[in-house]
Amino acid sequence: MTTMALYSNKGGVGKTATAVNLAYLAANSGKSTLICDLDPQSSTTYYFRVKPKLKRGARGFLKPGKPIQRSIKGTDFEMLDLLPADFTHRNLDIRFNGLRHRKYRLDIVLKTYRKEYDLIILDCPPTINILAENIFNTADLLLVPLIPTTLSMRTHEHLMTFLRGKRYDHKRVFAFFSMVDGRKKMHHEIIPLFLNQFDGVLRSQIPYLSLVEKMGIYRAPVPVYAPKSRATEAYQTLWHEISQHLFISD
Amino acid sequence: MGVKIKGGYQAELIDSILVDKYFYKVEEPVSEKWIFFDTFDWRLFNKSLTLHQSGQQLTLRRLTYGDSIESIKWTSRPVFAWDFPDGSFRKRLESITQARAVLMLGEVHTQSRTYRVLNTDLKTVARLVYTQVWSQPDINSPLLGEYIILQPVRGYPRYEQQLTKELEEIGHTTSIIEDIYTSAIKKSRIKPGSYSPKLGLRFDPSMRSDEAMKTIFLRLLKIMRANEAGITADVDTEFLHDYRIAIRRTRSALSQTKNVFPRDITNRFKRDFASMGQISNSLRDLDVYLLSEGSYRLMLPEVMKDDIHPLFIYLQGQRTLALKDVIRYLESEDYLQILQRWEVFIDNSKSDIYDEINSALPVIDLARKQIYTQYRRVVRDGNYILEHTQDELLHLLRIESKKLRYLMEIFAGLFPRKKITRLIKQLKILQDNLGEFNDLAVQQEQLLEFASEIPVSDKPSKMALVATGYLVETMARRQRIVKAGFAKTFTTFSSKNNQGLYRELFKYIDSGSDS
Repeated sequence: MTTMALYSNKGGVGKTATAVNLAYLAANSGKSTLICDLDPQSSTTYYFRVKPKLKRGARGFLKPGKPIQRSIKGTDFEMLDLLPADFTHRNLDIRFNGLRHRKYRLDIVLKTYRKEYDLIILDCPPTINILAENIFNTADLLLVPLIPTTLSMRTHEHLMTFLRGKRYDHKRVFAFFSMVDGRKKMHHEIIPLFLNQFDGVLRSQIPYLSLVEKMGIYRAPVPVYAPKSRATEAYQTLWHEISQHLFISD
Repeated sequence: MGVKIKGGYQAELIDSILVDKYFYKVEEPVSEKWIFFDTFDWRLFNKSLTLHQSGQQLTLRRLTYGDSIESIKWTSRPVFAWDFPDGSFRKRLESITQARAVLMLGEVHTQSRTYRVLNTDLKTVARLVYTQVWSQPDINSPLLGEYIILQPVRGYPRYEQQLTKELEEIGHTTSIIEDIYTSAIKKSRIKPGSYSPKLGLRFDPSMRSDEAMKTIFLRLLKIMRANEAGITADVDTEFLHDYRIAIRRTRSALSQTKNVFPRDITNRFKRDFASMGQISNSLRDLDVYLLSEGSYRLMLPEVMKDDIHPLFIYLQGQRTLALKDVIRYLESEDYLQILQRWEVFIDNSKSDIYDEINSALPVIDLARKQIYTQYRRVVRDGNYILEHTQDELLHLLRIESKKLRYLMEIFAGLFPRKKITRLIKQLKILQDNLGEFNDLAVQQEQLLEFASEIPVSDKPSKMALVATGYLVETMARRQRIVKAGFAKTFTTFSSKNNQGLYRELFKYIDSGSDS
């Protein structure tokens, strides 16, 4: 029903961790959820203990049909399925270019699943090429993690200018502060500047916590191995806030 | 997929399947209470569905396949579909239960232990759930059933196939939900599908008419009596609705079957049932208004949508009073006496032999004669209206077609089901047109009447008056459209084809007796 993309054209900002934890919380709240790993690094896929392999690789991925249907795996959690990444995703943009409706290919592929799931979450690689345009064309909502630094501010400005240039509705873009370090003075100073300059910045913040990094050790979402932690609480707050924008009619 | 096992729990049983072949992890057992729900008239069961609440989850499942169709987080007792938030669950449930409340059918207590089957990455690839079911929360009470349920995980078909094979060897496959549902209901001593507002009678076409009519009357009386408790407890509006339809069908049958019983008897009962119906007229009207709040809001422009609310608060108050009147009547000596007299009269075992002209007529002949005469009356009146459209005539035609409908429904069991269902469906289209026209007319008058009764003291009630005015205007416009649609609807109804079908099914060939 609703598609949300965890997107940033900057790497290492917490996209995957957020995608995995929000997907888990969504499923846990009763929304049937599909998380799609579009990143050839396949971290999301790894966190869910699934092999990063698609039936027929990228070719199977680009066409709606049996191969992609069979590639979907149930996770360890009820109501949560995963479309794994594949190493061939590294060439996804080149493949899009060779096809008709090249900017809407992802939308065509996901259309089948919009009916089946309440929520589709896309974990995107850091790009701003044709794959990104495919993502913008299919997502109902973009969720952008921001590390409160001056560099992030520049990148976010670039993104917003790019979206404006392409006439995307900027009201669909939501950002939140990620990896916020309470000890860093700069983080405290940058946040108000951001809030001043951009609309759609959420109130929830995800602090910088080593517990989140341990997802790779436990190979599970944070609420599973640390249900009562600050990290879990932060993701819950974020989920609560963003879900109000996702399911307006509910 | 699941199997039912016998002989008490043996942990070794599941272990024996899994050990040596799979990695697996056993989770803590979970105890739950499962409560099953359905409407009074078994709407879910009739569609082979079950609604059950367990833990915080309310799930709609297919009864035989056991697969979940819709599920929602819901902790309080479910009642009406409209209590749920907008979404697919509500939409699905509303399309089935409509204005009916769901009632508790029964409950069972379960304890489940999940065995997660893992692959070499320690990823869950299937689940085996061992479930025990008791009628009491006490695990020492007698066991109703024990099951091992295989829950496959999407994308791992090979594990599913293997485990299915292994399970089939230790127990017999069964529809587990259906099994548990049956246990829960059996405990409450109710029979699924035991109530239906439909007549569902089949009789021997050669049965004497007086005897057949009494069978029909008895069935209608049972429907009335079955609904009394629901009306009094004010569970939902459909108890009264079914009750009233049974009364109207009784009245219709009494007046449409002339010369089967002595006239003085039928006349007296006709009067009795007429008064019985009248008592609840105003309650039913108010129910209809209150149920249509949503559609009334749709008729209003955005800025006025909430203004109409005071009217409904007023109507709600009126309804409370009307319900009190009806309950008082149902408990009155008068009412009980009428029913007693009626019960004595329709008791076939004390079979009085009547010698009216039609008493001994085979019921099929009676049915044909009555239906065909009534059909011709409807066609004749309708044709007249096509030339002289008057609102009053449309109203009369509505009543005549309603009589025809009741006759066809009462005697439906005597005719080939496919054909009569088709004719009833067609008649319904005509009735819908006439009914909507009449409803709109009555509602305009009624709304204006209500409006004049609301004390106008404050701004909200003034706004409600304005909104009511707007509604009346919208209805008048709609009424003109409906009226314009009559000609086409009626022409279809009275088409040559249709007339032929009526003739084929109902034309009564007089074999010499007087009629």
